[in-house]
Amino acid sequence: MAMSETMAAREGGARGKPRFSSDLPQMLIGFVLIAITGFVPSILGNSYWVHTFQLVNIYIAASVFQNFLFVDAGQKSFGQGVLLGLGAYVTAIFFGLHDWPFLLAALAGLGAATAGGLLFAFPALRVQYFHLGFVTLSAAIVFPQLLMSLDKWTNGINGISVSMPGLHQEWFLGLSPLTLMIAVYPMIALAIHYAIRRSRLGRDMRVAALSPEAARSLGIRPGVMRFIAFIIAAIGTGVCGILYLPAVSFVSPQGFNVELSFVFFFAVVVGGRGQMLGPIIGIWIVFILPNIALAQFVEYRLLIYGLLTLLTVILFPDGIVGSIERWRARRGVTGRGEQAFRVDRFLETLEGGRETRPGDEVVVEVRGGTKKFGEVVAVDAVDLKVRRGEIHGLIGANGSGKTSLLNVLSGLSRLNAGSFLIKGEDATRRSADRIADMGIGRTFQTPRIFPQFSLWDNLRLGIDARVGDGSADIARLADALEAEFAQDSAELLSHGQRRLVEVMRAVLKEADIIFFDEPAAGLSQGERANFAKLVRFLARRMGKTIILVEHDLELVWDIADTITVMEQGRVVASGSPEAMSNDPAVQHMFVGGRRA
Amino acid sequence: MLAEILIIAVRGCAIGSIFALIAMSFNIVHGATGILNFAQGNMFVLGGFAAFFLANEAGVAWWLLMLPVAGILVAVLVTVQGWITLAPLRSSVEQDSWLISTVAFSTIIAALLMITQGPFAYTVQGPVPSFRILGVRTPGAYALAIGAMFFWYFALRIFLRHTFLGLAISALSQDFDAARAAGLPVRRLQLLAFAISGLIIGTAGFLVAPVISVASDAGLRYVLNGFVAAVVGGIGSNLGTLIGGPLVGIIGMLTAYRIGGAYQDLASLLLLVAILMLRPQGLFGRSSARRV
Repeated sequence: MAMSETMAAREGGARGKPRFSSDLPQMLIGFVLIAITGFVPSILGNSYWVHTFQLVNIYIAASVFQNFLFVDAGQKSFGQGVLLGLGAYVTAIFFGLHDWPFLLAALAGLGAATAGGLLFAFPALRVQYFHLGFVTLSAAIVFPQLLMSLDKWTNGINGISVSMPGLHQEWFLGLSPLTLMIAVYPMIALAIHYAIRRSRLGRDMRVAALSPEAARSLGIRPGVMRFIAFIIAAIGTGVCGILYLPAVSFVSPQGFNVELSFVFFFAVVVGGRGQMLGPIIGIWIVFILPNIALAQFVEYRLLIYGLLTLLTVILFPDGIVGSIERWRARRGVTGRGEQAFRVDRFLETLEGGRETRPGDEVVVEVRGGTKKFGEVVAVDAVDLKVRRGEIHGLIGANGSGKTSLLNVLSGLSRLNAGSFLIKGEDATRRSADRIADMGIGRTFQTPRIFPQFSLWDNLRLGIDARVGDGSADIARLADALEAEFAQDSAELLSHGQRRLVEVMRAVLKEADIIFFDEPAAGLSQGERANFAKLVRFLARRMGKTIILVEHDLELVWDIADTITVMEQGRVVASGSPEAMSNDPAVQHMFVGGRRA
Repeated sequence: MLAEILIIAVRGCAIGSIFALIAMSFNIVHGATGILNFAQGNMFVLGGFAAFFLANEAGVAWWLLMLPVAGILVAVLVTVQGWITLAPLRSSVEQDSWLISTVAFSTIIAALLMITQGPFAYTVQGPVPSFRILGVRTPGAYALAIGAMFFWYFALRIFLRHTFLGLAISALSQDFDAARAAGLPVRRLQLLAFAISGLIIGTAGFLVAPVISVASDAGLRYVLNGFVAAVVGGIGSNLGTLIGGPLVGIIGMLTAYRIGGAYQDLASLLLLVAILMLRPQGLFGRSSARRV
């Protein structure tokens, strides 16, 4: 505990800000709890508790992977017990029935669990959410049926007993190799979860789970993220199965029915979804309470699982650890008001560049682009050319096809006819993530800011999405931002500040073409002026090409080099702001001032 | 050979009609709330239990009287469940809580059935005698299953397209926020959708009790096969369930006859995975409804 506190203080930074994430201290507390339950019974020589906590700690490890899958990858699996069962059963078959060496049999078990994970992972490439809930649940139902009916290989209802005296032999202090392995493995599982969460892979997965389209615009493929998550969880849970075999010395179909999968799922919910300590507290409550503490009511255990889970969802949906964490976070929250996120100071560090003007090279070109939604033609044979370094305003009434065109250009939807080129390359049939990797950044009408991440991690998604090495300037900017915002929450940011975070994300991505979807909507007058300054800075100082969909005509006329006017899916006029002011097609938009 | 094909076709279609009924009960709740109620399999089994306790070996008149009673009992239960499931959604931004709570409900019902009724399957005698199709004896409940499927398909079609309440529920499935903005009592319509889904599966469970497994642990198998039927047809499409249900039923029967009864659920699982990989929006689903 003392260690975790000092580390907490160190991570909190010199200004003594409360840490944004409690993952690290939670993990360290988790290590202590697992070590106590894993080692103390052996040291005291109580074989009943040794055995009980071996099983508990194996289940904790399995729940850690369930937790990872549940929150970090956003996937609800009701079939993790199958993967544990595959690991245990296949190891038992090769070790117990075919006399393979244990390690080789364990490898086969791990392979089987991974193969089982593929069954979940392949559909995950295409679909998510409740679809996968049903796939995993049906696997949990089918698995014990198969163990029974494939009795030629599995011994059917009789199960398989194994004897592994070597692993149970005491080494020192009453500890056997098995006890050591089973106590260390959940700690490894926690450490893996923590490491993934702090890695780029973990952030990508989480963004994919929270907002698939934001993920795709950052070059992330959500299906692939789900696939990888299921495979990681399958391997991690398969190892639990391998440890289960020597711990229990026996496998039978009844040991791996749906109930087992439910225990892991419910434990994560009751303990606290996404919390590092959640699986530990969850298994202690969900598994130990009915099976050990209330052992005389063991036939009521399913009822207890169900009721505990239902009460948790209704009364404190964050679970036990999550509720404590929420209370801690609320006490520690230090909002910095309107000015919490300002970028001017940071951009000044980039101020060296000289003023650039739009070039002649066309970097975005649409040729006869048509996009239909059923009968509605949202974009109708549009031609558009955007030059490098230009600020290109796209205006028109609601429903005139501006955002549809932007979505086509960023790959979120596909043209029905026509084509478009980005930097001379045909991108018509490219997916959003591949277009993002061509150096495109975008913002959304509702900024995609993730309160689960610290403010810095929200910005860092841009660096994660960058293709190739970044420039030294941006690296310096990133360091400054990290020092300032690593422990800040993004939850209290105003709408305007969230918009700025998204813009900075695109800057850190070093996107050279940026699409803005109604960026000024909801900004205050002051924020609007700052935003105009920022866009000009991006184009003139950093040489970025900007396509701006906007209703605020004053802003557009103020900053745009070229303006394209759309009406009912068609381009009706295009040219410089001065020319557009006099164009009859545009005149009517100015009735009652320069606002549409 | 011909007899076998006939048996597979008739029984497959009949069992498949049950899956189609469960799929329709999914659809109406999903359309109105976005929720897929995992507890619906157990609610269906409760309809079977209702047949055992209210009308086992009863005469036709009593049995007919008890049919709506069973439907209403299950409908009330599903509505209460729906109310509890929707309650946390009122405030919480996160919408997965229904997934957890409906699974928890499913577990609780199964556990209560297990504690009070034991682990064994009940046998229910219905009043409709078995009949012969081309010499193959067929339980009467099979005909009832197919009849119930068509009855509920047309009843839902008329209700959803030609009554004010039905149109209001359809509006929810089109655009939730717009329906709220238009002043529709969203929460009450959602509860009504839950009630209708309960009425469908309650009556279905009651009618087909003689040919299903009326047991505490049977619910999950039915909910899964019902879901596969819904996915095959396209979630949200009742017309799709008329194809999806019998297809799942026939594949299950074929598996049972050719490979073994123990592999029926495996066949459904593989069918589900195949459909999700190849055509996730199902046969009749709108591709825009797909969330990938």
